[in-house]
Amino acid sequence: MNFKHQNKNKMIKRSFLYRYSLRFLLLAGTGLTLLPACKRSEYLNPQPSTLITDVDAFSTAERIQAQVNGIYFRLKAGDFLGSFYFVASEARAGDFISTNLNAAAAATTYQLLTVTTTEEVQEIWEDGYQAINAANVFIDGMNNGGKTVVGEAIASNYIAEARLVRAVAYYYLLQLYAQPYANGAGSRPGLPLRLTGNNNSGSYDLKRSTVNETYDQILEDLNFAEQNLPDNYSSAALNTTRAHKNTAIALKTKVYLSMQDYQNVIVEANKIVSVAAPFTSSARVAHALNPSVLTVFNPPYTSTESIFSMPFSSNDAPGSSLGGYFLPGTGDGGSPTSNGAGNLNLNPNGLPADPSWTTADDRRQFLLTGTRTGRLWLTKFKQASPYLDYVPVIRYAEVLLNLSEALARTTGGVDARAVALLSAVRNRSDKTTSYTTASFADNAALISAIIKERHIEFLGEGIRNADIMRLQLDIPAKPAHSVPAASPSSPNYIFPIPSDELLLNKLIENN
Amino acid sequence: MNLNVPYKRLNCCLKNKTLTPTFKLKLSKNKLLFALTFTILQANAYASPINIGIPSVNASIGNHIFPAPLTTIDSSSKIKPAKPPIDIRGRVLDEKGTPLPGASVKVKGSPQGTMTDSNGSFSLKGVSSDAVLVISFVGYDSREVKAAATVNISLQPNKSDLAEVTVIGYGTQRKSEVTGSISSVKGSALAEQPVTSFEGALGGRASGVNVTVNSGNLNEPPVFRIRGTNSLSLSSYPLVVIDGVPSFTGEEESGIGNASNNPLSSINPADIESIDIAKDAAATSIYGSRAANGVVFVTTKKGRMGKAKVNFSSTLNFNTAANLPKLLNAEQYIELKNEGLRNEGTFNPATNYYDYSLDANGNRVDTRWYDHIYRTGLSTFNNVNISGATESTKYYASVGYTDQEGIFRKTDFSRKSALFNIDNKTTNWLSIGAKINYNNELNASAMSNGSRGNQSASGGMSRVALISAPIVGPFNADGTYNTTTAGFLGLQDNASHLSGQSRLGFYNPVLSMDYNSSDNRVNSIQSNAYVEIKPLSWLSFKSIYGIDYRYVTFENYFSPLTGEAISTNGASASVQSRRERWVWTNTLSADKRFGDHSFNFLLGEEEQKTNGNQFGVRVTGQTDPLYTNTQGGWQNVFLNNTANSVFDNYLFSLFTRLQYNYQQRYFLTGNYRVDEYSALGANNKRGTFWGFSAGWDVAKESFWSQAGLENVVNSLKFRASYGKVGNVGGLSDFGAINTYSAALYGGQSGLIYSATGNSDLRWETSKKTDFGVNFGLFGNKITGELAYYRNNIDGLIFGVPLPPSVGIPNSNNNSIMQNVGRMYNQGVEFSIGGAPIRKENFSWNANFNLTTNKNQVLELAEGVPSIITGTNDALTITLPGYSAGMLYAVRTGGVDAATGRRIFLDKSGRKVYYQHVAGAGAPSPYQWSYEDNTQAPAITPSSDAVIYQQSAPKVFGGLSNVFNYKGFELNILLTYQLGGYMINGTQASLRDNRFWNNEVGMLRRWQQPGQQTDIPKVINGDNVSNGNTMPLDINVSSTDFLRLKSAQLSYNLPSTFISKFKLTNTRVFVSGQNLWLLTKYSGIDPEVTTNANSAIGQGIDKNQSPNARTIVVGLNFGF
Repeated sequence: MNFKHQNKNKMIKRSFLYRYSLRFLLLAGTGLTLLPACKRSEYLNPQPSTLITDVDAFSTAERIQAQVNGIYFRLKAGDFLGSFYFVASEARAGDFISTNLNAAAAATTYQLLTVTTTEEVQEIWEDGYQAINAANVFIDGMNNGGKTVVGEAIASNYIAEARLVRAVAYYYLLQLYAQPYANGAGSRPGLPLRLTGNNNSGSYDLKRSTVNETYDQILEDLNFAEQNLPDNYSSAALNTTRAHKNTAIALKTKVYLSMQDYQNVIVEANKIVSVAAPFTSSARVAHALNPSVLTVFNPPYTSTESIFSMPFSSNDAPGSSLGGYFLPGTGDGGSPTSNGAGNLNLNPNGLPADPSWTTADDRRQFLLTGTRTGRLWLTKFKQASPYLDYVPVIRYAEVLLNLSEALARTTGGVDARAVALLSAVRNRSDKTTSYTTASFADNAALISAIIKERHIEFLGEGIRNADIMRLQLDIPAKPAHSVPAASPSSPNYIFPIPSDELLLNKLIENN
Repeated sequence: MNLNVPYKRLNCCLKNKTLTPTFKLKLSKNKLLFALTFTILQANAYASPINIGIPSVNASIGNHIFPAPLTTIDSSSKIKPAKPPIDIRGRVLDEKGTPLPGASVKVKGSPQGTMTDSNGSFSLKGVSSDAVLVISFVGYDSREVKAAATVNISLQPNKSDLAEVTVIGYGTQRKSEVTGSISSVKGSALAEQPVTSFEGALGGRASGVNVTVNSGNLNEPPVFRIRGTNSLSLSSYPLVVIDGVPSFTGEEESGIGNASNNPLSSINPADIESIDIAKDAAATSIYGSRAANGVVFVTTKKGRMGKAKVNFSSTLNFNTAANLPKLLNAEQYIELKNEGLRNEGTFNPATNYYDYSLDANGNRVDTRWYDHIYRTGLSTFNNVNISGATESTKYYASVGYTDQEGIFRKTDFSRKSALFNIDNKTTNWLSIGAKINYNNELNASAMSNGSRGNQSASGGMSRVALISAPIVGPFNADGTYNTTTAGFLGLQDNASHLSGQSRLGFYNPVLSMDYNSSDNRVNSIQSNAYVEIKPLSWLSFKSIYGIDYRYVTFENYFSPLTGEAISTNGASASVQSRRERWVWTNTLSADKRFGDHSFNFLLGEEEQKTNGNQFGVRVTGQTDPLYTNTQGGWQNVFLNNTANSVFDNYLFSLFTRLQYNYQQRYFLTGNYRVDEYSALGANNKRGTFWGFSAGWDVAKESFWSQAGLENVVNSLKFRASYGKVGNVGGLSDFGAINTYSAALYGGQSGLIYSATGNSDLRWETSKKTDFGVNFGLFGNKITGELAYYRNNIDGLIFGVPLPPSVGIPNSNNNSIMQNVGRMYNQGVEFSIGGAPIRKENFSWNANFNLTTNKNQVLELAEGVPSIITGTNDALTITLPGYSAGMLYAVRTGGVDAATGRRIFLDKSGRKVYYQHVAGAGAPSPYQWSYEDNTQAPAITPSSDAVIYQQSAPKVFGGLSNVFNYKGFELNILLTYQLGGYMINGTQASLRDNRFWNNEVGMLRRWQQPGQQTDIPKVINGDNVSNGNTMPLDINVSSTDFLRLKSAQLSYNLPSTFISKFKLTNTRVFVSGQNLWLLTKYSGIDPEVTTNANSAIGQGIDKNQSPNARTIVVGLNFGF
């Protein structure tokens, strides 16, 4: 009886096991395939495959060097020195007519109707400060360990480049968003000076420094750059696109001219301009005027005249571009390899009608009459989309004319070297004209000729607007669209501070 | 035959014998004497067991001829000859006339019964002719009918939700036990709607659910909100869970093309069985970190008991633009534009005036641009499915083909889809199943159609249709395209005398549509497989592994002839986008009852990983007209501008849920979930979420029936829930870390500081409270629900803006994603439904729902007084104390009757007059001046706009009615909303005084001193006075509306007729969408909005395309 019971129990057990074993096995099997914890942690902290984290950005010399290029990349942003800064400057300065009054093509700036919310007012400011912060973050990173990776010497080269970029950005912002130095001798509000890297949230209220203080900072950076930059690089391309000692010096002539500090223009310019013609830089990179102005703007854009330019390549094309704005479409004289959107055409009654700009002048070859509309187009930047023409920031011709003007203004009368410098630029393009001291009745005539020469030489390069401002001239009227002139005292003489800055920076004041 | 005799019984069964009795009766006092004879009859006569009580008989019946006893019985006994039994044939149909296979047919009070076959047919033999048949089917009300030779009966769906189940996360629950807030919509309500994805047809069908079809563009995801906007910059789109696997939704898709695409269009609406929308914390908290915007459960169809059944449906649709503004014709245009030139002072009868162009025949050009851009689109939707089930296996397979033409020329959508669902109960403890849904789509659009917020582009079709001048046409008189060197519409005959203009339109749409293309092709696979093991009858383990793979190819081609690419000598771009997601869910559930206590316990683990990348190239400079794709011959190749990106995110979750009820009267549920998400800040990846709810079904209490209330209120369930859920939708995968990205500088490699993250970034959390009551009246003839909800949202993530001079780089520069800000949504939901009339041949079912929503922002980041979004012609502002996304507008004070100038009001309310041309002859020497003609600062939105009106509606809902009469059904859906406002930026565009064409209202313009009007003097070039460059109050109007969203009339052909063709059901129908609209809105449609699903960019209608009006004819049949 007992035995039987046991047997029965066993049988029940066995059949239970038999009946349930498979389902438990399946259950266990599925459970075992669950993801192990270590894999989970890896999945929860994925490393981006196309981005480098800030932890690693300063870990190798190659990455640090790449970051230097990255700072220049910020400077040549489409809305800053990549083109739009210059487009907006030209749209104001009266040489161009807005073809379609398209607000997306600087028409508001052209009409001098810029307000705090105007796109270009916001974007130029934003991109300028992006470049400034990129430089600041880099300088901080170098001081926090980057130096030890590349060594002190190379580190100071790189920091000098970053400071030069910062100085350039501040300089250009100052030309649009602040009263020129001439108005109040630099006492008017300048820019908020940001000198340390910003890479997290926090409170960033900061008031504007004065124009003077801003220029002081620019010069401090450029002086540091001059001290610490290399003499030159291994190729013409690098000498044009990365800063070396002469770049800092050339930029200082530009800065001092804006500050009407003519003595210092002369001091700086003399470091890279020979005493007599042919004017060249004997030191370091041998800057000189290119024999033909026409080829300065041809590939590879790296003649010794091009001291500093913003480069482009097909995988690194500008967003908006000078060629795109200035060149006509294919239906109006553009060719498949040289056409644009035709947003800005030249005012035919303005500079092109100036008799002092002789027909023999090579620079007139930059003018093209529309085959269909008869409009006058500027073809200095001539490549079709993707518009890979380099954008000049400073050319040796500008250094020469900066020096020429500074000499003329400091010496009074008709300064012989000033005339020689002016003549060098004019005669390069206009073989029929050579100036002598006799060409000018007086100091005023000489200065006026120099200003005119700058106007012609740098047409489309964004310099005219800065000249108008520093000389306290009226921004010209645009009769084609009944846009009245703006005098230095009118509120639209300079850009307003963008609305976001006004809203978010409690210490800022508007213009 | 039944002789009721209170004596001994003689039971005889005459099998297979047909006998007939013969009586001989004889009365004697109180006795009845009778003789009974049986004789054999012919074969088909009736014979059934007879009970004869004959006291004296004790012989058995065995002979053909029964010996005739003669006896006496009690005369009080009744002799009731019975009717003969009958054979019954019949069919059981649903309310729409579709056969119901597997329905049970039983003889009441008898074991006799059968089931219907796949045609819904049944037969029963030998049923007592006075018997009653009980016919029942799951989900339908049972019916009783008297036996008859032919019984055709239709069942009505079970309106009482007692028997229905609802999908909740990781399981289902009987509706009567649900304590959360869940709205359900049957797939059949959506299946025949002319929508590409199901959510487009959800509007008005459920309380708390607001779906705004915001444009007539094909396949554009609608604006989808559950209980208000629950985020400011992350996604406000609900989580969509399809058969247990979270799906991609439209917000996450970005590309380069002009055509829209929507991941939810990968589910063919015809394959959807039901949609359950979870709204409160109780219902959603099991989805933890993704539940803040509500959860939408989509269940696809499965097979039903019975042999294979094939269904075919097909519709033909006609789509037209529902409403378009009335524009000036050529004559009116010339009059107005010349007046503008005169008023500007630039009119010159020789050199500067507008006039007609002449076509090749010398006729005046008067172009109606609508005709060149819009069309009547023809679409077809076709679906075939086969389904069925045996005891152990259910299967459903379908294929669908959709081909849609949009209301714009060259906008098309076509889809080929296939779905296969199979479920097998292998043994009593093991079930396995799988699903595969494959979908292939083409979305095409030659020009911008506004689907990506680009409706105001130079090639925006709806914009070009509005503002191109009627005095020029798409072609010149010589047959060439009318285009300028920049690709714009040229002046044609005006070229000789309109010196102030270079063009009379934006891109030439005919040219662009003839040459350009912008397509995206989608291949997607949604699949899952599961195994469910029940080691014990009450314990179940389920493992489900699902994938959602999407492969999208974008390809654009823009001809060098067209405005889109004239400056680049042609352009093309291709992008391949791959997103692959797997989701693995393991759950253990226990379902056990102890007497009156029922428990359901769930424990789960889930992982979701999404990988993928998007990469493309863009080429420009076409070298030969032959090359119309990216691989052709091109001068320049770019690797940027194609939204290249890498996707990598991971979500790990553990969750549990306990459900308890006592006697189906008291209910308690608790949910708890822990989520860890890779895209969050290193310090805050983990979040915990939970929800509790309770319910009480009062009508189940004994006092309720004792009080006699159950006849009136047969069910009354109170519920309450509270919980915390989260939101991370739309967060970028690597947005929490500071990163550098590669760049080139002059061909040299570069590395740029490009993104600023926030290592503290954590979940947005939403604390949801819900109180509700569900009731059923008069035996569930009327059912309804009333609920109050409140969501308190904390730690809202948005890019906190910093001053631009800080130079913080990000995709949105100068902002860092931070958890700041609080807001809430609260409101009341009410829905009621029932069948006021339910008769044999006629029934009327009605459902009404209403939702109120109040949204208020409580706090933003420190130092951020408000968030202003939009472009300068249409802005919204979000700030504490107001609803998110208030319209932000400059006030106006009418038109000065003396001078025709627009009067603006500055911030302080002071009048500022605007004249486009200042100076000599003008009323004031300044463009902007005060009433006394002294100079005023220019009016700008940043300094003078005021918080104007709320964009979100305060009340919305719908009313659906279904009328059935015999085979006919009329289905009407009305939707409505109240309390919202929108800025009609399109009107501002259409009142621009540049060369743009205008709407006819401009004919009311001011012309002489003293004239009272709302349209100022027209001055050429004036784009300010009517609001095209800043948002003005005059363009804002209420979006209250009542819309006949859809109406459908269908007819089920009689089964007697269609059975001749071996069909089981055949239905024909016609329907219409957007047939009628009642609104005060000044634009074309109060639902049309520009900024897609942007949380705080609603209420803006700028050049957006109209909605489509669709007429559908369709046919359904099955066998």
